[in-house]
Amino acid sequence: MKRTPLALLNLLHERTRLVVAIAGVAFAVLLIFMNLGFQGALLASTTIMYDQIDADIFLVSPQSLEISSTKAFPRERLYQVAGIEGVARVMPLYMEYLLWRNPDTRLSRAMFVFAINPQDPVFKMPELQTADAIAALQRPNTVFIDRRSRSEFGPQTTGLETEADRRRVTIGGQYTLGGGFAADGTLIMSDQNFRRFFAPRPLSLISMGLVQLVPGTNADQVVATMRTRLPPDVRVLTKADMIASDRQFWQENTAIGFIFGLGVAVSFIVGIVIVYQILYTDIRDHLREYATLKAMGYGSRYLFQIVLQESIILAILGYIPGLLISVALYDLTFRATQLPIAMNPGRILSVLLLTIFMCSVSGLVSVRRAVTADPADVF
Amino acid sequence: METPHNLSLPQSTAIAEIKDAAVHIKNLNYSFGRGDLCKQVLYDINLTLPRGQIVIMTGPSGSGKTTLLTLIGALRSAQEGSLRVLNQEIVGLSNRQLVEVRRNIGFIFQAHNLFESLTAAQNVEMAVELTGEFATKRDQATAILTQVGLKDRVDYKPDALSGGQKQRVAIARALVNQPRLILADEPTAALDKKSGRDVVTLMQKLAKEQGKTILMVTHDNRILDVADRIINLVDGRLESDETLDTFVTTHDPKVLDRRMFIL
Repeated sequence: MKRTPLALLNLLHERTRLVVAIAGVAFAVLLIFMNLGFQGALLASTTIMYDQIDADIFLVSPQSLEISSTKAFPRERLYQVAGIEGVARVMPLYMEYLLWRNPDTRLSRAMFVFAINPQDPVFKMPELQTADAIAALQRPNTVFIDRRSRSEFGPQTTGLETEADRRRVTIGGQYTLGGGFAADGTLIMSDQNFRRFFAPRPLSLISMGLVQLVPGTNADQVVATMRTRLPPDVRVLTKADMIASDRQFWQENTAIGFIFGLGVAVSFIVGIVIVYQILYTDIRDHLREYATLKAMGYGSRYLFQIVLQESIILAILGYIPGLLISVALYDLTFRATQLPIAMNPGRILSVLLLTIFMCSVSGLVSVRRAVTADPADVF
Repeated sequence: METPHNLSLPQSTAIAEIKDAAVHIKNLNYSFGRGDLCKQVLYDINLTLPRGQIVIMTGPSGSGKTTLLTLIGALRSAQEGSLRVLNQEIVGLSNRQLVEVRRNIGFIFQAHNLFESLTAAQNVEMAVELTGEFATKRDQATAILTQVGLKDRVDYKPDALSGGQKQRVAIARALVNQPRLILADEPTAALDKKSGRDVVTLMQKLAKEQGKTILMVTHDNRILDVADRIINLVDGRLESDETLDTFVTTHDPKVLDRRMFIL
């Protein structure tokens, strides 16, 4: 036989209060999950472009911040690594902003431009793989437009003519990419057109170097070799590291991390206050009983354990519905906004630990009252 | 006013009894607060409670009865004089040591102070768990509840018990660990006449059978007859200490004594 589970029985005895407490914890858990979910979704959306870039290793300038704010570096660096064993193909990628005029409203707005050699399979989008598309890209002053560009950029019909940086430009086709946080809209053009639009920038200065590997090659090994061959004016990253580096930039150097971090902190405090209220009321109602336990010979440590147990039970009982509702709301959000919001095991575990920590803090704050219960006052 | 007298025991047995007494108090003073706010509530208390005696403590409100009871029960720490409880000096003990002393004392309060969330048996088991006897706790609880006449109420929660039954559960909880000293504060105050009577008769029976010392504070005249000895505390001083018979004659309603109004 074991010790009487006083903490659990005390909580179960007051059913209404228990339901309120569970709802409170679940609410706090839900808020934390939603904040983390939105943060994760926004960070994922900033790096969504990489999913469509068909490269295993990326070369960037050390002064580049993230994909939309790159610093150009010499194209020779790309050719220097082209001969390394395991490298299948190297491809330059040029990126710039271009003022695109909406032909309907005649208002110009900054559009993000990717420029590639049309023969290079830089992007995975199926629309760009056909011979017709490659031929279209090779035509002077012709661009492909992203269907997910904001509507403010105007119509996207093939053949439509408008003006960009004082040059006439024709839409040669569409693709689906999405610019995430970095860009309101994107275009893809050939490197020759890039030379026309962005003169005097030479094609020998590239924004990003893309490397495709022979299938089955260990990317980390090739990256290490490249680092030994290249001067320090270029960073070599695997695709995963490149994405992590961009995410880190958005999280740490923009408002995103702060806003959602604050959201998590506020939810955490809301949770602490709710649990504190419940535990405090419970302790106040049982003060005479707790004092009696002390008179019987139980020490403060036992009361401490009881309150802490109650808070951890509340944490777990509240976490479960909080998690289930969050999963449902993630699904709802995904359907409504197409934001890449998803639950992952790391978040499930870390929020569980955070919830237990949250309830323990409440327990520790409210336990003082129980520990100071004076058995002499019971008489 | 009569002078305080010390006639508790015949001279011959006194010394042996003191050595083995459940409670032995010498020159105990106690005050609340410190400095300018210091208020003395007990003055030079000398009292010996031998084993097996049922002692009732009476006195007006504010006379220090409860303070004395909590001092004996190691619920407060005394600073001055000597206070031996169950052969252990408790003046000057740390809080942790006081907790240890309490485990050998049974407390019965005016309110039952049972956990509403626990059944009668579980409430009693909470006391058994202090001794670490987890394997037999259920049997011990059932046995003592049977003794107090609640055999068929073992698994009831306090909500489903009457006032007298709840107080009997509280008594079972106080007695289950076989404490040698039982301290009770107005155990019948919240009970009707019959339940109150049943509760003290039960306490008396258990005390006699198992040789326990009981110190009970009460204002309830109806239960004075269970006492072997009645002590009266007035303004923090031990005013009188008499056997039941003396008490009855001096407090006979026909002999209208001034002290009657003090009681």
